[in-house]
Amino acid sequence: MNLPEVVGHLRKIAGHDAVLDRPEDLMLYEYDAGIRKSTPGAVVFPQTTEQVSQIMRLASSVPIPVVARGAATGLSGGAISQPGGIVIATSRMNHILEVDVENQRAVVQPGVVNLQLSEHVSHLGLYFAPDPSSQKACTIGGNVAENSGGPHTLMYGVTVNHVTGVEVVLPSGEIVHFGGKAAESYGYDMTGFFVGSEGTVGIATAITVKLLRKPEKVATLLGIFESVDDAAQTVSAITAAGITPAALEMLDGWTLRTIEAYCHAGYPLDAGAVLLIELDGLREAVEEQAEAVRVVCLEEKAREVRRAKTEEERALLWKGRKTAFGALGRVSPSYYTQDGVVPRSKIPAVLRHIGNVSKKYDLIIGNIFHAGDGNLHPLILFDIRFPDQLERALAASTEILEWCIAAGGSITGEHGVGMEKRDLMCVLFTEQDLDVMTSLRNAFNGDDVLNPKKLFPTPRMCREITGPAQNPVLVQEGM
Amino acid sequence: MSTASTATRFASELRAICGAEYLVEDPELRPRDILGVVPAFAVTPGSPDEVVAVLRFANEHGLVVVPAGGFTQQHSGDLPPQVDVLLYTTRLTEVEHYDSGDLTIGIGAGCTVAQLSSKVAAHNLFFAADPALPERCTVGGLLATGLYGPHRHGYGGLRDYCIGVRFVTGDARKAKGGGRVVKNVAGYDMMKLLIGSWGTLGVITSASFKLFPAPRQTRTFVSEFASAAEAIGFRNRVVHSPLDPVCLELVSPEARGLTPGLGPGSSWSICLRAAGSDTVLARYRSELGTTVAREIEGENEHVLWQALSDFSHIVYERHPRSLLISMTLPLGDVQALLDELAMVAQSHNLTLATVGRVGVGHLLAAMWPAAQAEVANYVDTVSTLRNRLPRDASMAVLHCPAEARQGIKTWASIPSHLESMRLVKNVLDAKDILNRGRFLF
Repeated sequence: MNLPEVVGHLRKIAGHDAVLDRPEDLMLYEYDAGIRKSTPGAVVFPQTTEQVSQIMRLASSVPIPVVARGAATGLSGGAISQPGGIVIATSRMNHILEVDVENQRAVVQPGVVNLQLSEHVSHLGLYFAPDPSSQKACTIGGNVAENSGGPHTLMYGVTVNHVTGVEVVLPSGEIVHFGGKAAESYGYDMTGFFVGSEGTVGIATAITVKLLRKPEKVATLLGIFESVDDAAQTVSAITAAGITPAALEMLDGWTLRTIEAYCHAGYPLDAGAVLLIELDGLREAVEEQAEAVRVVCLEEKAREVRRAKTEEERALLWKGRKTAFGALGRVSPSYYTQDGVVPRSKIPAVLRHIGNVSKKYDLIIGNIFHAGDGNLHPLILFDIRFPDQLERALAASTEILEWCIAAGGSITGEHGVGMEKRDLMCVLFTEQDLDVMTSLRNAFNGDDVLNPKKLFPTPRMCREITGPAQNPVLVQEGM
Repeated sequence: MSTASTATRFASELRAICGAEYLVEDPELRPRDILGVVPAFAVTPGSPDEVVAVLRFANEHGLVVVPAGGFTQQHSGDLPPQVDVLLYTTRLTEVEHYDSGDLTIGIGAGCTVAQLSSKVAAHNLFFAADPALPERCTVGGLLATGLYGPHRHGYGGLRDYCIGVRFVTGDARKAKGGGRVVKNVAGYDMMKLLIGSWGTLGVITSASFKLFPAPRQTRTFVSEFASAAEAIGFRNRVVHSPLDPVCLELVSPEARGLTPGLGPGSSWSICLRAAGSDTVLARYRSELGTTVAREIEGENEHVLWQALSDFSHIVYERHPRSLLISMTLPLGDVQALLDELAMVAQSHNLTLATVGRVGVGHLLAAMWPAAQAEVANYVDTVSTLRNRLPRDASMAVLHCPAEARQGIKTWASIPSHLESMRLVKNVLDAKDILNRGRFLF
């Protein structure tokens, strides 16, 4: 079956106006929020689970590669199609199917926007906890595929900790259910396995999520430090003091000045680094912890500790944090961000390493990250019009991630592996580890119709990468 | 195993893998039977590589392997048709990583929960799992059976704080999932598959966990109610209040008699455990108001919560002929299920004692007869209850009298797609050598 025939079938399944196949339309579906591109052959907008099932059955029979796509805010290439493949866009599957207050659950279609769910249940005193920086745009289906995080995962965990059930369309087109509204069930935890499988096992068509009660009290503090080192030490000291903040974010001086110029969040322009610390819960507990955090910060050489006095001040501090990536667009034609994780005690050391990498490759690297759980987002600035700069940016990024792995960490805390880090999986996992995982993928997705060439390297790539990887991303994508 | 000479050959091969002192042969294994089935051998490998060698050997010769730790849950599961090798993980106790500043630890599967807890307590840290018999229960067994105790309410389940796992698949591949950092989404989440898999996918050799800062003080507020409905009404108020207790446990009147630290009584109790400063505890007191019958702290509090963790084992000891049924369900159905349990127990002439993490939807119900009961009565009790479970609930009959096991399926009402689970099983243990016949398939 050729592509026009496939498009014809897709139109029969989803409706004539629910398929795009003109080059100028497809261009909009080439990329995500990262730096990779690939043009699909068609984009289809199903509205029902049954339509997704029919599309999968069609794709498997051709066969033609398929990828599900929400808002494409991902950074790892997870939602990018194979050239000429089918994109299943979930934007018309955007209904909140059920809000079950008694059971503290909601059932949503995959295209529901993350923040929209929290807004929808806000009047009930409830919210959905995972809060990626892109939460105004990103979809819950995408969150499930990538197991997304956000600042508040420090206390509340990533997406998998908030999903209790999924309706899934398997590559065969079969519609199956994993889990339900109960917090846990007997049998293998297929829901937990599915979340974070990066669209390689099936497509989620309905998702049962936990809704949490909004905390009684929230305190947001800004600790201002002369140096990144002092701020990093403070992160460890807060943990050692037995305090688990809801969020604990760090921004280095360069990054916060860039943000401040963009959105006037009230960050000090002359600081070496700031910590954005949020505590939530019972009023009395929050007040005690806020005071304890203030004391720890001052003991660890904070110049000043400010506390947001109003909801507006708090929102402004967070606006700065969450629009950081937008702010960078003003100062650099391109940037590349990473998502490495280190054990918390290694935060000061990894920041020094990033400083060295920045000098070595002669690139500005800003640091903005989830310090509380050791999840880094070094922002590497470059100009994509100069190939040598892209090459240096990717080399710098690889060097940082390899340091994270050597320190006992991981290559991704919340963005997923996708296309960009799949070769580094060989450094993180043994060939046999990967063999076990890929054999599971093959059991569900044996013909690799669903999101091929993502998440896992080919065994050949693993064998070729001996010692430090030589920009495998570049090699693989011919850049 | 057909002949004595084959057995001798297998024994010598297993001895070669693990060392002579780590192989035990029948009949010394009689007290270590699996639901009456006596294993031919017990081996205690000293490393993950030895586990690989044992499982490879088992695959080659079609031997059925039962992974074992502290033997606190081996009475559960369906009757195994055959058990050849009992594989103990108790020599795998090495600490892989531990830096108190990271609030994480990686430890061998054979380490007991009590050992792990006391190790981290030295740094004012806290391992949140609180299973029955922590002195015997091993980390590997804890994960494999997906156990949880009262702390499940405030700290989440194993799926929330197990961050990495190393294991050997049934087909003898040594593999891992996750790692040692608290946030990590690289690769498939193998922890989720292994937690609660009852040793049917792989032998867990070590695992990494998030730790928590140890609470500086806790206090338990015991509230008493004339009926289950009133107790659940109270639960609803707590769940919808700003309070954030670490435990919220329902104890039925009959269960009180099995709970040292609470003592006999005719009322339903809810034990709410709070952590925090005097000011925080004072807030709990004022929010909970006059429903609180008494407050417990210090050693008495410790005794109470250990008893609630140990509930199932206290039942087995006092009432060896009991049914012990564990149920997970949505919060809103707890009340209805408590009513069903009462009706089912009454119509089958069984005494019912129930405890449960009613804030997360987990109930443990023990039922026992006044005197001898017919096998048919147990079987009918279980099937009646199974038919009355609410949507999205699942259950496991963790204990029943030996003669009833044949007629009672352990697992019921599993909400996830069975064929997908079977695919997973086939990928990791194609020859079905691990715990054959005891789990879902």
